[in-house]
Amino acid sequence: MTSVSGYVGASSSITAEDVPALYEGAKFYSPAVGDSNKTSINSWLAGLLDRNGPVPLLRVESLPPETPCVSVCVIGSGSAMSDLPPAGDEFELAVRQIERLQQITFGAIYPLAAATISALVAVVTAAQLRVPLLDADGMGRAFALIHHTAMHLSGVSPTPLAAVGPTGESVLIEVPAGPRADRMLRANVDTVGGWAALAAYPTTAGVLRRAALPGTMSRIANVGRLLLDRTDPDRLVTRLGAITGCRRLARGRIAELEHLSRPSDVTIPAHPSSLVVDEVGGLGRQLRIELRSEIVAVFADGALIAGAPDLMCLLDVSRGTLATLDSLEPGDLIDVLVTPADAVWYSPAGIEMVGMGSHGIPLVHPRRR
Amino acid sequence: MKRSSTLPITLGELARIQPLAGAEPHLADPSRPVEQVVLAETFDRLRRCTPHGLVVLHNEAATGGWSLAAALHLAWERNLSAVVVARSVAGGSSVALAERLHMSLIVIDDDPIDVALQLAGQVSAPAAARALRQARLAELLAEQTGIRGVLGVLNRELQQVPVALVVGGVVIAGQSAALTERPQVRLIEVEVQAPGERSAARLIAAVPSTGPASPSVSATASVSLEQVESLLRLARPSLQAAWAQSRLDTATRAAHEQAAFDLLRRLPSAPSPADVEAPPWTSELGWQVGEANRAVWLAPLRPSGEPPPEITYLIRASWQRGHSTWPLVAEGDGWISWHSGADPADVTSLRRALAGFRDSAVAHRLVIGVGRAHAGVAGLMRSVAEARLAAHVAREDGPGAVQWFDQVGANAALAWLPTTEIAQVADLTLEELMAAKDRAALVQTVLAVLDSGGSLSQASQQLGVHRNTVLARLARARQLGLTYDEPGQRLALHVLSYALTALWSNNELT
Repeated sequence: MTSVSGYVGASSSITAEDVPALYEGAKFYSPAVGDSNKTSINSWLAGLLDRNGPVPLLRVESLPPETPCVSVCVIGSGSAMSDLPPAGDEFELAVRQIERLQQITFGAIYPLAAATISALVAVVTAAQLRVPLLDADGMGRAFALIHHTAMHLSGVSPTPLAAVGPTGESVLIEVPAGPRADRMLRANVDTVGGWAALAAYPTTAGVLRRAALPGTMSRIANVGRLLLDRTDPDRLVTRLGAITGCRRLARGRIAELEHLSRPSDVTIPAHPSSLVVDEVGGLGRQLRIELRSEIVAVFADGALIAGAPDLMCLLDVSRGTLATLDSLEPGDLIDVLVTPADAVWYSPAGIEMVGMGSHGIPLVHPRRR
Repeated sequence: MKRSSTLPITLGELARIQPLAGAEPHLADPSRPVEQVVLAETFDRLRRCTPHGLVVLHNEAATGGWSLAAALHLAWERNLSAVVVARSVAGGSSVALAERLHMSLIVIDDDPIDVALQLAGQVSAPAAARALRQARLAELLAEQTGIRGVLGVLNRELQQVPVALVVGGVVIAGQSAALTERPQVRLIEVEVQAPGERSAARLIAAVPSTGPASPSVSATASVSLEQVESLLRLARPSLQAAWAQSRLDTATRAAHEQAAFDLLRRLPSAPSPADVEAPPWTSELGWQVGEANRAVWLAPLRPSGEPPPEITYLIRASWQRGHSTWPLVAEGDGWISWHSGADPADVTSLRRALAGFRDSAVAHRLVIGVGRAHAGVAGLMRSVAEARLAAHVAREDGPGAVQWFDQVGANAALAWLPTTEIAQVADLTLEELMAAKDRAALVQTVLAVLDSGGSLSQASQQLGVHRNTVLARLARARQLGLTYDEPGQRLALHVLSYALTALWSNNELT
């Protein structure tokens, strides 16, 4: 498939030409991630797709319900991954380990999160295993922990899961309660090299029809195409809105970056900090953007106007590109965009798991007031 | 004593006493009442706050970053009076947000729980808190030694209320804004009886009132009126002490005034003297230079160079009794003072002052000259010259004499005659006359005849003696060398006679 400007719709396969768009789209849904791995991962994936041919991208419903499927993602630190790049077989090995354990052969791969580098490694894995990729994922954006998934909310266990590090060592975890898996896994990630290839949530296509979030891979491809098609920020926001439902909360100039070591919630590893933005035009409000591993809340004059699980990202107005959180400087003119997350995250269970409370902000979400 | 108010304490009052006195206040409206203190640990608690409360953030509600912003917003929603928070949580942007929401933010260094407990006590007993504030103010005032210092403390304490110390419409210290007429401002006056003063100074505070507003607002306004008055009363003793102190420090004051007057004297030499305005520092000394300035020159009867400072002190003490704003500047062998008013013809207060000063003038052997009233600084200088001239004329009439320049005319020229030197000339040229025992009568008679243009009858009338006596005396004077009727010598002898008479009459008086 070629990237036709203005194309919006579901894709049926992923080719080498889609890789840059996938990367940009994946970044939109995980604004905290830096660009350190961009070149290597993009060329790796593009090479694979050139050699092995396009990866078919299938809707979950198009597979027989009994087809075994498994999700893959990268767990651990992105900077560790650029220090210790993948040897190339980690994701394949992780999937094979679960196949061995369960005595099955997976018929499809799906990304645990259609965001960050995990979206791309799912394509890598599918290309390596020569199986189709499902146009669905477990998060619809990036969350911090591996049980923050729609599958977990639907009662699908993340285990047995296999994590393979760049050192070739692997960990196999089986737990009865999903949330314990993340804790056990993180204890091992440092040891195996700072990051690991994860294969988790082995299940069937039939379960995924109700448990996964559909259409998320083609969505990031479409979003990525819009972002690559450099245009003026106002038009970009309008176009993004058509695909993702995002809207601009405010445009403003960064006034202050507060790097505070504040008491932080124990469940999510992050250093709380704040970004103060003076709104340009409009009401001239003072925006306060709370940062953890992602943007977790936006306050306007102290009133909460958006918060997790909403996806909030910043658009660098002068460059017309997404601003990653590590590139912000006082004086930058930015658009604060908010995109609603998938509906499952606004359910009581979803809010409890990934809402602002999990980031130590005990306020009622603006959508639930 | 007035019963102290039990109305809710205001934010401004709370911020003046511990524990908030040491805090960093960002008060949007110091006149907001504080009816309750809430120690808020959670946002739930914040949401349940009632209006006009002061909330101290603590624990979960004070984790920093977003939490203070959210708390400020909630406080704004709940119409709270103020938010108190630990310094570790408050950043510059929080202060900016507080200002934007017009919400008072107070940043403390102490433990929030301790602060909340203390504040709760103060809010529940507003009278006690006010007493505490007054005690603190009394301490501050007691530390002040100068009038300006006292006024500085008052103005700092009563931030939005300008206070000035005024004597006879002149601002001695403080903010002159206290006197400007403005709508919706109530003036509060407290008399300050300075030691030895007849006319009292007044402390004036301009308290902004809220005009026709709701009863609750006017109630708060009346509290502050009452309070302002009590604070002004509190300042009174310090002010009196400072006043007395400044009085004692006359040497400095004299030097200060002399220098200032010299400066003032130089002003009229500016290109257009009529436009010269009195510089602001003159009012600092309490001086007034206005529409009609009438100078007074106090001079010793027998000038003997610059008077010693002790004399200046004594003269000042008696001259300024009851007229503390009238300047007294030691100048040459005398002292200058002046009276300023709007009406050039109004001399009642000056006449009263001169009458009151008469005894002192006699005691110190002073004569007094009064100039005419002229406008502006240049006019004042002119009046000073006139007064000086008048004072010379006044010397003829002995100690305590007052001479108004209006009544002097050309005769003033005679006042400038160096009588002593002329008398010495007489000693040399008129030896026989000077040796005579009846010389005084002879000279006086010759003077009288010359003064009346040669008329013997007028002269005899003036002297109160018979015409023949006059004739006899004239004959004897002519014999002794006083040849008054020789045209070539007439002027010289007339002047001589005048000088000798003036000198001897003074000596007799002595």
